[in-house]
Order: sequence, then structure tokens, then C-alpha cells
Amino acid sequence: MTGFGRVASLLLALLIAPSAAMAQQQTFIEQVDLEPIESLAVQVDGRLKSFGSHANTLMSVVSGSRSINEQSPSFTYMDMMLRPNAYEDADIVYVKNKLVRNKIADALLMEDPTLGDRIEAFRETGLVSPMLLNRPSAQELVEVLSRDLIRTASSVDAINGALIVREPAFLLDRMRIVPPAVEGETAPWQSLSGIALMDASAYADHDPSDIAAITETWMGLVEAWNTHDPDAVNQSMATLATQLQELSPDVYPETGRLSWESWYFNQKSMTWVWLIYMLSVILLLLGMVYRWPPARWAGLGVFLIAFGLHTFSILLRWYIADRWPNSNMFEAVTTAAWFGGCLAIVMELIARRTAMHGIFALGSAMASMVALMAARFLPLYLDPNISNKMPVLHDIWLYIHTNVIIFSYCLIFMAAVSAGLYLLRRLFGGSADYVRAGGAGALILRGTTSTPDALADTDNASLGQVLDGVTMLLMELSFVLLWAGIAMGAIWADHSWGRPWGWDPKEVFALNTFIIFALLIHVRLKVRDKGLWTAWLALLGCLVMLFNWIVINFVITGLHSYA
Amino acid sequence: MSGSMTTPEDAKTVQEDRRSGGAGAKPLRRLFDLFSSVRFGIILLSILFVYCTIGSAGILYPIHPNLFHPDSWVHEQMRQWRFFEMTEFEWFHWWPFDVLMVLICTTLVVTTIRRIPLKPVNYGVWIIHTGVIVLCVGSVMYFGTKVEGDAPIVRRSMAITLVDPERPGEALATASLVAMPGNRAQMEHDGRAWNFDVLSIDPSWELLSGEDAGERTYSVNLLVDGPDGRFIRQLLAGYPEYTEDMVITEDPTQPMKRAIKEIGRTLVDDSIQVELDYESQGWFYLRNDLAKSFAVYLRKPGELDWVERPIHGMPLYNDYLSSEDDAWLFPGGPPPVDPLDITVSAVSPDDPAPGMDIRITGYLRYAMTRTRYKAGPSTAPINPMAWLTLSSTDGASQQYQLSAMDPRGRTGDNGLVAFRFVQDQQQLESLRQPPSLTFQVEGIDGDMNMIIDDVQAANPALEFTPVGDSGYSYRVIAVQDDIILSERVASVAIIEIKTPGEETIRRWVFSDPSLTRDVTDQMLEDPTGHSGPTLLDETITVSYQPGSGNSLLMLVAGPDPNQLRLLDALDSMGQAEARVQPISVGVPVPLSSGSLSLLLTEYLPRAVQQSRPVIAPPEQRNRDARELFSQVQVRVPGNDPVWLEYHQYPFRDRSELLRRQVYNPSLLRLEDGTKVELMFSRQRLPLPTGIALEEFILTTHQGGYTGQAGSIRNYTSMIRFMTDAGWTNPVPVSVNEPVEWGGYSYFQSQWDPPEPARFEGDRASMGLNYTVLGVGNRHGVWTQLAGCIIATIGMIYAFYIKPIIKRRQRLEHAQPRPGGTS
Repeated sequence: MTGFGRVASLLLALLIAPSAAMAQQQTFIEQVDLEPIESLAVQVDGRLKSFGSHANTLMSVVSGSRSINEQSPSFTYMDMMLRPNAYEDADIVYVKNKLVRNKIADALLMEDPTLGDRIEAFRETGLVSPMLLNRPSAQELVEVLSRDLIRTASSVDAINGALIVREPAFLLDRMRIVPPAVEGETAPWQSLSGIALMDASAYADHDPSDIAAITETWMGLVEAWNTHDPDAVNQSMATLATQLQELSPDVYPETGRLSWESWYFNQKSMTWVWLIYMLSVILLLLGMVYRWPPARWAGLGVFLIAFGLHTFSILLRWYIADRWPNSNMFEAVTTAAWFGGCLAIVMELIARRTAMHGIFALGSAMASMVALMAARFLPLYLDPNISNKMPVLHDIWLYIHTNVIIFSYCLIFMAAVSAGLYLLRRLFGGSADYVRAGGAGALILRGTTSTPDALADTDNASLGQVLDGVTMLLMELSFVLLWAGIAMGAIWADHSWGRPWGWDPKEVFALNTFIIFALLIHVRLKVRDKGLWTAWLALLGCLVMLFNWIVINFVITGLHSYA
Repeated sequence: MSGSMTTPEDAKTVQEDRRSGGAGAKPLRRLFDLFSSVRFGIILLSILFVYCTIGSAGILYPIHPNLFHPDSWVHEQMRQWRFFEMTEFEWFHWWPFDVLMVLICTTLVVTTIRRIPLKPVNYGVWIIHTGVIVLCVGSVMYFGTKVEGDAPIVRRSMAITLVDPERPGEALATASLVAMPGNRAQMEHDGRAWNFDVLSIDPSWELLSGEDAGERTYSVNLLVDGPDGRFIRQLLAGYPEYTEDMVITEDPTQPMKRAIKEIGRTLVDDSIQVELDYESQGWFYLRNDLAKSFAVYLRKPGELDWVERPIHGMPLYNDYLSSEDDAWLFPGGPPPVDPLDITVSAVSPDDPAPGMDIRITGYLRYAMTRTRYKAGPSTAPINPMAWLTLSSTDGASQQYQLSAMDPRGRTGDNGLVAFRFVQDQQQLESLRQPPSLTFQVEGIDGDMNMIIDDVQAANPALEFTPVGDSGYSYRVIAVQDDIILSERVASVAIIEIKTPGEETIRRWVFSDPSLTRDVTDQMLEDPTGHSGPTLLDETITVSYQPGSGNSLLMLVAGPDPNQLRLLDALDSMGQAEARVQPISVGVPVPLSSGSLSLLLTEYLPRAVQQSRPVIAPPEQRNRDARELFSQVQVRVPGNDPVWLEYHQYPFRDRSELLRRQVYNPSLLRLEDGTKVELMFSRQRLPLPTGIALEEFILTTHQGGYTGQAGSIRNYTSMIRFMTDAGWTNPVPVSVNEPVEWGGYSYFQSQWDPPEPARFEGDRASMGLNYTVLGVGNRHGVWTQLAGCIIATIGMIYAFYIKPIIKRRQRLEHAQPRPGGTS
């Protein structure tokens, strides 16, 4: 081979090598079957969860909602633990706070101007590599930012937390998948650290031959993973899963629940159902605006499918968590939307012969779509991970007060949907219609008079009357439920915090929401354009409710900070 | 509140409304008309909404025209402004709120009575309005009498008694301390002293023998250090018969042994009697987040009980200073000079200074006391302080604060940088020299001076160096400069000398020759003192000249305190005479290494220390800390203003201190020469009866407590109340399960988590040594609840039952009358 040929071959090899390695990694990802290990039980802070769920939690600490190289969290967990060097200079740490992100980017760029493209990508995605974060300029800046407790310290804590979590020793230590020999409330599960360090004394209660077998399997898994041998990895993982399950069969939890939990998180908590809700919203809107029954019936059908899947996800989460899902923001938002769906179905049945039909489903579909979109796209705010309830939440009033309140909140949102449609109609020249008998009254009094006191069971009622009637009906119900929910919360607070009412921001804004609806009722008595005022105040009430759920929860924290 | 039921009756009342506002109406009638106006009610409700919003969420306003930039908006809690200084509770009980609620209730009552006829279709509105009024009455009862606070209750305290074994009933001396790891107490009698130190506590110790084997109880290990030696006494709550001592042994495999096995009896010293008792709590302390409830406590020195003086009119959220010199300000922050003037007078007949008023002139929400240096007057003693910055050409830098007169503070970087004061030129010359040893051997003329260039601590393979031709050789084991001995400061070189007879002697050669001695292993093991000859081989004598010691850079002041020089031995790494060059403030000095420079940023030849609170910048304040780091400035006649740190609880003594709490009373001398102690804390109220903590139970999820809140299932305090018949049986108080006793409710509020030792000399804790219960009254809650239920019933009636009634009425009217047409 000539000199030129050698140089050309070398250049070619250099070009091909990374892409070949990437291709090999991609093939490895595709061929590895993580199912056995994803369904392993892991003990985390007093809860036995599936490894898939655990990996989802820890990887979100490192990378937020971003996925690394399109890998599943379980794969990234294993790969990060077994091949840490591959992630040293990979952009895996998510910096959420844009102020902090830009300051770090500026500091890194000032230290090394050649980082231009990477820094731009960092500004855009928020992902940066541990190696860059460990540069002196970034470290000095992070130290300074950690002192600002108001604006940047929590973000610095998150960065430092991510850097700790991605360490292989930490990941190994948190992989507490070795069950205790005997069942007991306080018996802790062991991590694989002892096995990785060939220290069988950490598992003294177990049969040494069992531990030796697990150690051998683990070592085989480590080697196979590092050599990218998918068959050996799959075999080792399946063997390891069997060995761990058989180590203490009396202690090991039901594998079916763990498999479902793993599936649930692989399905992103089924938040993709928002797409189906969106389809039903489109069809129901077509049906309502054009008075086109096929679209309305199709919309109702799609809504039922979406609601069925939504119901399945709620029930599945209940089964996995072993408690009704209403203990954190994710659960409150998705369960509230589900309550709205239940009511919509009931109301669609009651109002099936009135001009209101289809609008309850539309409001509910819109509420569920927004709720599931928020859960899908804002996982750092609506954390989908399942954890134990705080001690204060172990009370029957959690189920009574919280469910009543979130149900009322969903009704307020649904009322805002019909109010918004009313305003749109007015914007496009609709007349100032309203329903004289109120919401429930309109349904109850129908058929008793030919005057427009109530909605007719024919299509005589105008769309304005229908929308105003739906708004009022939902508002009346939410008015009662919100009031009762606040009172129930006061009963709980009385025996939990020692005072039924503490002027906590969340309490005050629940009261504020109620005041808006009290104003609505009284303003409706006095004004001529009742429909318009009702719609605006229903929207204002919804804004106050959302302010309570979003701003009060995330900005102005109080006693209800877990809600 | 009349629901959405617009009826002909409603329309009629509206017309009445219009009529009633006529020009000729009497003033009282006009007033009635105003209060029966729905519009007026709507205005009042709107004001209530705005008031609630501002009080709870605060206000948001722009400070930049670009409204879409997040930094263009400022969020502030208006109630926390200087003018208001209100908690949420205070904001919602301020007179404007009270007036607003009175107006709303009046409007509700007048409107209902005057304008809503009492008939079935209007029952709903009547019920709703009645419910709201009942709720408001209940709220007046509730909030008008509300008190709320918290009470810490310790699990056990220890009563220690010194008795004469021949007369066991007679106490010669007593002491007490709360069972908390690290708590200490002292007892003296007849010129002898005993120190007691809580070594460790196991809140769930398993009994291994006896009838109750397998039971768990509270176990305290108390270190007793008395005139006759040290031992550990183990005390078990509820099992005084199992009290026993452990002796400290020399066996490294078993450093402690049961006294019964070692000396044949259970107790080492039966004249020391220790009992575990309940620590009865008789007070609860009002919470500042409900309403500001600060207090100053006073007592005479030597007394234990504090006398409370409530402070009225205190701020809570902002800083108030009399002058800029009262505190160390943070850079860039405006000085919060805005003096307070609050007089705190005695209210109790037991007050130790009943005629003396205390004035509060300053308050800091978040500050920590720090000592800093400032320039003293020319008459102040010489106390040179220097602030240096060492910089390298690659941009790295290091700051030092050095005090020439303080042996602990005159070096930096493990002695590489130092600061000294010299009385004369000879001392300066001495400091320029590298550290050296001078040997004299009998029979050999002259001194042999050897520079110390290597020590075995850094070079384990260090060979012995011959001392000339004397036959002796030596090697340096370690060097330590500026050791603080009982009355003086000295430097020492520890060397090994090999004699001509191949015997090895370890000699500690001090810079002060009178301290130099040979040390054997036997001497090291004997803690009581050294015996035997000072020098094992007096043929060879050694002296140590520390010279520049370990330092490569030395700043030297003196003999004139304003004269400064820099000794630079960087190029020879301390192995040759240091280079001397002048140095002055603000002028960088290039160093001999070439890549480093030194800048003297500040120099105070006669520095004086001053302690002041450092105000934390707002962005560095942890808002969960609330008022924990607050301080007040008090002025007592005859004294300079003094800052008092906030105490969560006014503990009587350090031996009663709870973990994570502070005890730092201030002692002041009054104009009449008497002394008082002061403490800044919260107001307190007596509990109806004493409360004791039997046990604290932490219930966890599977796997036990991991240090994370998620692993905790519940907290339970098993408490006892004192009655005429003694303590009640233990009553559980846990989360969501309070207990009512004596007109108050008791709630589980805080706990004592495990934690490692926090500082040198501290003890690790397994936690669960105390609980904090929330204490509060709840008059009127049943009335409030009744109001809520009544209003709910009214809403259901108005929205759902009224339309049914109307439907029936319409259907009845629609039916053909007998003998007529429909």
C-alpha cells in the first residue's frame, strides 16, 4: 500500500470508527431485553417499586424529562452504572432554570470559546455534560449561584443532585434489589454493592451459595454489558431476576404488580391519551358549531374511548400505588380531569334529549386534554413518580376533602370552556341570550312552559342559551362542591394542624374562587346582559382557581405545599 | 346570596330597591336601603376579594417597560412592608377587614329580612344567608379567643444526687440535666468536682435478661468523671433496678466492661445516685406566625427561672437599625437605618428589675453575630492584623487573614504563609533563617548547626544524619511550631538520636530549652506525668531554632508597628536565608518564584475586635428559618446597646438544652450595680397541667427510617398529663390524631431526628429524645361547622329543590281546574 493509501485508510477508519461504535451501541440497545430487570422489585424510601419505575425517577433527576440518546430510563440507568466513562462528556445533566443555564453557558464560553456549538445546544436543550460542569469556571459560578437562595440555589442543588445521582457508586447503592431473608416491617433490602465488591458478609442472613450464584450472574452481566453482547446480557438479566425472586420467595412482592408498574412508566403514565381527547374535542366542536349529529356522535364515541383509557390509567395507578391516586400534583390533576369525565357521562345521559347534549363531553374532553398535556409535557412540575404519602395525608379526609375540591376545580374548568365558547359566539355576533331559570333549574323546569324559562327538549333553544345553561349548571354544582370541600378541609385542618382556618394562601384562594362565584350569582341578578357577565365571571373564577393550583403551589408555598 | 333563581319576586324587590332611594327618605331609611342593596353587597364582596388577594398572594408590579421579561416584574407581600409588618393572621384581623366583614354581614341580614320574602321558593336563600351569619358568629368566637403555640417535651431528665453512703437519705449535693446526647452538668462538694456528660442514648434498648427480656426501653449512658476516676453509668427508663456502671479498661478489644465483672459490684461509686425522671413541661410558647409574640426574659444571675416581659409593637419581617455602626452590613444593600423605640416594662411582681424599662431600638430578621477587626485608637495595644491576597499568573488566587499576636491565627495554608511581630532587628534576622538544630557533644569543641530540610513524617525512609564525628547521628521525626502550652507558646522538633552504642533516643527539642526532654514509649502511655530523668543521654545536647519555620512567605511587622517587611523564601523552598523586601498596602509585590505575587489589601497595626450582627442579604435567607435568626437591640440604663439572639425557647440552663436549639443569655450590669441576665424569646402561657413524654414512636414504611421523609409513616408522642392522682396513663398524640385536655388541643408538631455529631466535642444522637406538641384552643369551631352545614343545605335547596317546587307549582297551575278551562 502506498503512503497515500495508508493515510486514506487511516482517515477512513477514523471516520468509520465512531459511527461503527454508535451503530453497535444502537444495535445493542435494540437487542437488549430489559423486561426481566425492569420488573425487579427495588426498595426506595419505604416503598417497593419496580426497577423500571425506580430508573424513571432517578434518570429524571439527572436529565429531567429529556431522554438520553432515545434510550429508555432503565437502559440509561444500567449503562450509566456499568459504563460511566461513556457519559462523562455526554450532555446528560439537565439545567432547568434558564437564568442559571445562560450564566453557566457564558462562563464556559468565556473559558473556552471553541465550545460554541455545544454551548448553543446547551442553551437550547438545557443538557450539559458532567465534564463541562466540572470545569473551574462552571464550578466557581455554581458556588456563587448556590448562595442566592431565592433565585438560583434550588437550581444549583438540582445540578449537584444530578451529578451525585449519575455516579455509578450511587446508582449501584440505590439498586436495592436483594430482599431480606425474613419478612419484617423494618427489614431493609440490600443493594448490589456488596455483590459488586464480592463482599458476601453484607448478606449474612442468606444462604452463601445463593449469594455466590447471584454474584456470578452479576459479574457475567457486567462483562457482557461492557462487551455489548446482547445475548449474554439478556440471559444474565433473566437469570438474575429469577435468582432474586427465588432468594426469599415469602418476602418478594407480587411480580404482576411490578410488571404493570414497569409497563405504566414505559407508557409515560398513559398521558398520551390527551391525543384521543383532542380528537374528540375537534369532533364535538364540529358537532356543536354546525349542529352536525354524525360529528357529535363520533365525538362522543371517541370521548368514551379516551375516557375508558383514562379510567384504566387511574385504576392501574391505584393498583400499583395501592392507594387512590390523589396525593400529589400529577395525581390531583389527572384524577380531577377523570372526575369531570364521570360527571360528563352522567350529564350526557340526563340531558340526552336536550340541546345541551354533547357540551358536557366537550368540556370534559377539553379539561382532560389540558390536564394530560400538562402531565405529559411538564413532568418536572407534575411529577408522575409514585411515592409514599406524607404522614399528614394518612387520613380519611384526604379522600373526602381532596376529591371534592379537585372535582369542583374540574367543574370550574369545564364551566370556563362553555363560558369561553359563549364569549366566542358573542364575538362573532351572537345575540345576548341567556337561560332565565339557571343551570339545573333549566333542566328541571323544561317542559313546564313554552316561554324560554328553561331549555326546550327540542332544538329550539339557541346556542347562547345552551352554553349559558351549561355554564350555570356546572357553576352551581362547583359552587356547592367548592363550599363543601372548603368546609371539609377545615374539619381536617382542625384536627391535623390545630386550626380549621389559618389564612394559608391555598385556603384564601379557594375562598377567593368561591367569592367570584358568589359575585357571579349576585351580578346575574342585577345586570341586563346576564349571559355575558356570567361568561366573564366564570372565566375569572377559572383563572383564580388555576392561580391557586399553579402560582400558589409553585411560587407562594404554604402549609399545602404537598398538594 | 340569592342563587340564580331570578323570579318575579326578585324583580319586584329590585323595583322596591329603586323606589327606596328617593330624595325624601329619612337618613335611617337611607341607611337601611343601602344595606339592602344588592349592588352594595356586590361592591363589598369585590373589596373582600381584592383584600384577600393582596393579603395572601401579595402584589406584582412592573419595574421595566419590557413586560414580557421575567425580571421586569417584582413580587412583594404588601402585608410585610414596614408600614404593615403583619402576619397573615394579623392582616385578616386588622380593623379594615373587621369593618368589611361587619358591613357584609349587616348587608346580608338587612337584605334578607327586607327583600326576600320568607316562603318556600326562597327558603334556600334564607338558609344560605343564615349559614353564613352563623359561620361568621363562630369565627368571631374562634378568632377572638384563639391562642396557639408549641410545647417541647423531653423524654427524660436525670436527677443526680451525691450521698454519704453511711447516711443515704441525706443529699450532699445535687445536679440535673436533660437526657440529650452531649448535654453536660457539673456537681461540686467539699472542694471536689464531678462532671457528667451524656455519652449516648438508645431510645429503644432491648432488655436482654430478667422478667422483661425482649422489652424495649429508653437507655442513657452517662459518663461520670469524678475525683476517683471515670466510669459510665447506664440507666434504663422504668427499670432502676437494672442501673449499672461500666468501667473503662485498657483492653483495646473491649474498652468498656461491666463493673460487676471487672470489680465485682454493680456500681463503681454508690455515693453518686442518678435517676431518670419525667421532665414535666408546664408552658407553651406562642407562635409568631399567628401574631407577633416576642418577649424578653429576665432573671438574676444564679437563678434558674425566667420572668417574662412581653414586647408589644415589634416588627417581624424587616430590619431596623439605630445607626449603620450597629451591624455589619452586606455589600450593596441599603443600610436599614430606621430605629425602633419600644419600651418593655415589667409586668410581673417577680421581675428582678421592676423599675427598669428596657428599650428596643433595633431588630434584625436574619443575622448572625460575627467578630471582625477594625482600626483601634493610637492608645490601643499593638495588635497587627493583615489581609493578603496571593495571586498566580494563571489567575488563581488565595486570600489570608492573619493576626501576628494570635498563635492560632498567624499562619495560613498549614504555616506556609505567616505573620509575625518583631521587637528588634535581631528577631527579624532570626526569622530569616531556615529552621535548624544545634548540637553540642561533650568532648567535641564547637556547635554543629544543621538545617532541617527533611522530616520523617514526609519521608518515611529518612536516614540518620551523622552529627559531625561525634558518633551520634539523628533524624527529624516531626516539627511543630507555635504550640500553645498552658502559659506560653513554643515550637518543637521531635528527633531521634542514635548513640554511639546504637541506642535510639527520642528527644523533644523545644525552642525553649527548659522544656526539652527525652520521651520513651512508657512515658507516652503514662497520662499522669513523666517520671525519670529529663535527658537519657546528657552527653549530647540539642537546641532548636525555629527561624522561619514551615513558612515560605512571612509578613513581619515591627519594631515600629507601621513598618512592614516581607520575608520571601520561595526560591529556596525555605532552605536558605529569606529575601527581605518592603511591602505596603495596595502595592503588589512580585515574589521570587516568578509566577506569584502578593498583595497586602489591608493592614491594621492596632486592630481591635468588635462583635456585631452580620445582616444576611435577602437572597441568602432561608425562608423556612422564619424568625430563628432574628435579633433585637436592647438598651438598658447604664449599658451600651446590646444585641440579643432569638431563642425558640427560654431554656433555664445549658443542661436543659434541646438539640438544634441555642442557649445564649446576656449578662448586664445595671446602674445600681446589680446584674441581670436577658434572653430574647417568645411569650408563653401556662399549660393547664404538667405534661410528660413517656415515649416517642417513629413508625416507618417497609425498610425502616432511611433519613428521607418518604420513609416515615407516622409520628406518635405517648404523653402523660399530671392530675391530682399523679400522672395519667400514656395517651397517644399522633399526626391527625390530637388529644383534648384542659381546654386545649395537643397536636403532633415536631420531632427529634437522628443526626451525627455536629462539631468537635459533640455526640451523635439516635434521636427521639423529645417531641414538640402544638397547643391551641378551638372555641367556636362547632358553630363554624354548623354554619357551613346550614349554608350547604341552603345551596342544595336553592339550586335543586327550588326548581322542583317551581316545577310542581307550574304543573299544578297548568292542570285544568275543576269546572273550568286550563
